[in-house]
Amino acid sequence: MNQSKLDRRQFLKGLGLGGAGVALAGCDLPSYVTLEQGEENVISYLAPNEYVIPGVGVWYASTCVGCSAGCGIHGRVREGRVLKLEGNPDSGVNMGRLCQMGQAALQHHFNPDRIANPMVRKNGALVEASWDEAIALINEKSKSGKAAWVTGTISGHQRVMAQTHLGAIGGSRHYAVEQINANVWKTACKDIINDPNPEIHLEKAKVIFSLGADFLGTFISPVHFAASYAEFRTPPRGTLIQAEPAMSLTGGNADHWVGIKPGSETALALGVANALMNNHGVAGNGISNATKTLINKHDPETVAGICAVPVGRIEKIAASLAANSPSLVLAGGSATGNANGYSAAAAALMLNQMLGNIGTTITAGRELAYPQLDLVEGNSANLKDLAIDANEGKIDVLFVSGANPLFLAPKSLKMLEGWNKVGFKVVLSSMLDETAEAADVVLPLASSLEDWGSHIPSYAKGTRNLALQQPLMEPVFPNTRGFGDVVLALAKDAGAPGLDDYDDYYGYLRSAISALKKTDSEKEWNGFLMAGQTQIPSLGRKLSYSDGKITPTMNDSDDGNLTLIASARMGMWDGRGANLPWLQESPDQISKVVWDSWAELHPKTAKSLGIKDGDYINIKSASGEVTTRAFIYKGIHPGAIAVPIGRGHSALGRYAKDNGVNPLSILNGASDSKTGEIATTATKVSVKSAGKNKQMAKLMEIDRQHGRKLVATISADKQRRTEGGA
Amino acid sequence: MSSLFGNILKGWTDYTKGIEEGGHHEYEHMWGMVIDLDKCTGCNACSVACYAENNIATVGEEKYVARQSMQWLRVERYFDEPDIDPGAIDDENAMQERGASFLPMMCQQCNAATCEPVCPVAATYHTPDGLNAQIYNRCIGSRYCANNCPYRLRVFNFYSYTDENGAWPEPMKQQLNPDISVREKGVMEKCTFCIQRINAAKDKAKMENRQVTEGEVKTACQQTCPTQAIMFGDLLNPESKVTQAWVRQQIKLGKYKQDRENPTLRGYRIFEELNTDPSVLYLERVREE
Repeated sequence: MNQSKLDRRQFLKGLGLGGAGVALAGCDLPSYVTLEQGEENVISYLAPNEYVIPGVGVWYASTCVGCSAGCGIHGRVREGRVLKLEGNPDSGVNMGRLCQMGQAALQHHFNPDRIANPMVRKNGALVEASWDEAIALINEKSKSGKAAWVTGTISGHQRVMAQTHLGAIGGSRHYAVEQINANVWKTACKDIINDPNPEIHLEKAKVIFSLGADFLGTFISPVHFAASYAEFRTPPRGTLIQAEPAMSLTGGNADHWVGIKPGSETALALGVANALMNNHGVAGNGISNATKTLINKHDPETVAGICAVPVGRIEKIAASLAANSPSLVLAGGSATGNANGYSAAAAALMLNQMLGNIGTTITAGRELAYPQLDLVEGNSANLKDLAIDANEGKIDVLFVSGANPLFLAPKSLKMLEGWNKVGFKVVLSSMLDETAEAADVVLPLASSLEDWGSHIPSYAKGTRNLALQQPLMEPVFPNTRGFGDVVLALAKDAGAPGLDDYDDYYGYLRSAISALKKTDSEKEWNGFLMAGQTQIPSLGRKLSYSDGKITPTMNDSDDGNLTLIASARMGMWDGRGANLPWLQESPDQISKVVWDSWAELHPKTAKSLGIKDGDYINIKSASGEVTTRAFIYKGIHPGAIAVPIGRGHSALGRYAKDNGVNPLSILNGASDSKTGEIATTATKVSVKSAGKNKQMAKLMEIDRQHGRKLVATISADKQRRTEGGA
Repeated sequence: MSSLFGNILKGWTDYTKGIEEGGHHEYEHMWGMVIDLDKCTGCNACSVACYAENNIATVGEEKYVARQSMQWLRVERYFDEPDIDPGAIDDENAMQERGASFLPMMCQQCNAATCEPVCPVAATYHTPDGLNAQIYNRCIGSRYCANNCPYRLRVFNFYSYTDENGAWPEPMKQQLNPDISVREKGVMEKCTFCIQRINAAKDKAKMENRQVTEGEVKTACQQTCPTQAIMFGDLLNPESKVTQAWVRQQIKLGKYKQDRENPTLRGYRIFEELNTDPSVLYLERVREE
């Protein structure tokens, strides 16, 4: 239906690439020649425009916006359509590689459930309207009242634009909401080593001891860390020790996986510190006496009782850390997802200090010289604030884009009640998610592959770059508009100063980046676009160390209930991947389940509850219940039940709706005492069989190799003997 | 006409040579792969890249349960550590003490492929590149090949996925890769080592009057792999990284049992003992004791 409207001239004009030689400026890789070359007569256009050779793909550079890592991408464009995404080899973030979410971004772009036209609420229902009507309504309603913006993690010029608009309508608060984040770790790093985003050198470590940090799946910049992990695994090979209550993707790759009681990670770190000091003669330079006293109270025997980990394993971890320097200790994911999450991160940094890792495997990052472009990193504390402020009537007009607060917020936060108290809600989105469905005005956005933008990657080593996002094709849905374009128009209407010179966001972006780079040359601008990034000035930081406050107490009542772990997965992520069939049918890395949620249970627990694999089970907390099927395996602590985040949508589209359950909805109101992050591993639930069983759709029906040599494993010692490097 | 005549003559020469020398192939290329299981993290990026590159249909939950999924590249996951921790896996009350084992499995492009001789219509055949290929237009859907594949790596189109309720409702169809076909109901399909990328590189090399160079062809799975655990290249090119890895691991084609000078090397081929002569070399996973 849209093909007839694809018009390359307009597309190129939109790119601002009018002149002849520059039209293929984005093409810097060898192009493909097709099998059908010379035979293919039927293409999208009978008369292709001058720069497009039918059947030959060209590559354009852009930036993936699937998460805040900001990986560089190359999109293969043929006959005006983008067909495949690959990593941009020049990007320092991902070095040419991509994760499955990056690969699947195409299905977001070509999604059949995208919003095609603006919608306005009339008589209680959203009905299609014209852009003029929708914008006029927004301008009228946002003249008065307390306004606020809700976004996901946002950076670069989109951040500037949203905040300019917020200022122009007299708003004050910008809630950056992100369920999967490293806020606790970064806050601890800022407080303790004076750098919120230090460089983490997995490749230099000989041992990595990770408290729940899923750096291969969901922690800060997974593709970048996966590349460093590959170096870490090159002989002489490093050892990975992962401690967490339920197995993550990183845990799945651990040499030693330590299943611990949820919430006891801080105690484990203290126990390891105790063994290091008492058995291995580690001095603990820079550790305060108060912390040393705390460590002394946590001898391995005591800790073994708290964590349900054998003493021998705690001592083995300490021995491994003591014998192999430098090492690296990380904390994230489940370790930081409870009321004491900050303590786990502080304890991890304390271990790094004891082991002399600060300055070797953890080094100072660099700060942007233009802080106004830097990331506003989303977190779930803001989600909580949003619910509270909305309920208290502090918000009258709300703009939402890139976040889905009505899906993410636990019922205990009363987000929907607060939302309904907000007088006027505008959602800018490409998909009709839970939040958009409840809006007063919905503005249809272009997909990330149709839009302009600039992004600061959430993690960078060495120099800092501004990652550039450019359209790879003309809008699939012609009546959609770019985020920057919409917000620029709204800001201009609201009387924001200094924007009159810009007709569109492209013009603004180009002029802003030209000013930033102090060049107006067309050639250099095209160079930036071809590279997909441009370097911007940054300043070095300096690390220091001062102990953070570590409070190992657990609020654990042994009431016989299980602890619910709402686990984060690379794939569905926070739910944004749920309407992409490739991701729905991509088996979860650990459970291998497709197209549905599942609840992980230890065989011992399952046996005591009379639950078999594939049984529907009812999981009930104080604030709600969900019913899903049991997946029984030994990669989880017997006192825990893990349900992945991301499914359980009541909207979003045909593939996501009514598929699976959302464990976030039944979390109790607990949050990390220091950062306010919503605790994802601190809700007690009762579990019982729902009396039905149905075979789960999953890739692996067996968990064992039964003696066949499929995945063969050898010991590291043997490898060192044959391949050297020891 | 003369070229046709020439082909017949050449075919006859190859045929007789094959009889004399036993399974002789005069390959132009011999595409092979090396997968380092110690680097593979099981993240599944390769599998999704394969869906994107090769027009693979998604089938939905019901058909997935019925084992009708269409994935060409699956990442298997096992929870046992037979070589390091014998016994520990049988304790029901214990927790996992190590991570899982991940295994990316795509068509092994066997040189003595068990799927080839059973096809009643010769839809599955061996290319001069050493690939095990499938002619979709010739396939009648007998599924003998899939039954005969010891790796379970052939998938069958039990349904048509091209209508509006299929795998690509509008506008998703626009993403389909025009370099390869969309398969219809009744047709067997499988991993091709991204043959469209191989052919594109060969065409280009031919036009420029040169050989395909090392690294010129990258399969979709290899390209996206975050840890670069997958290597791909021409085993007839002595300079290629895959050839060097095969030599280093002392693994030779054409054998069902390797007699290696150093049997502790990490390289192995899956089900090599069945004499399928696969072109994919795996490197054993390594774990600290």
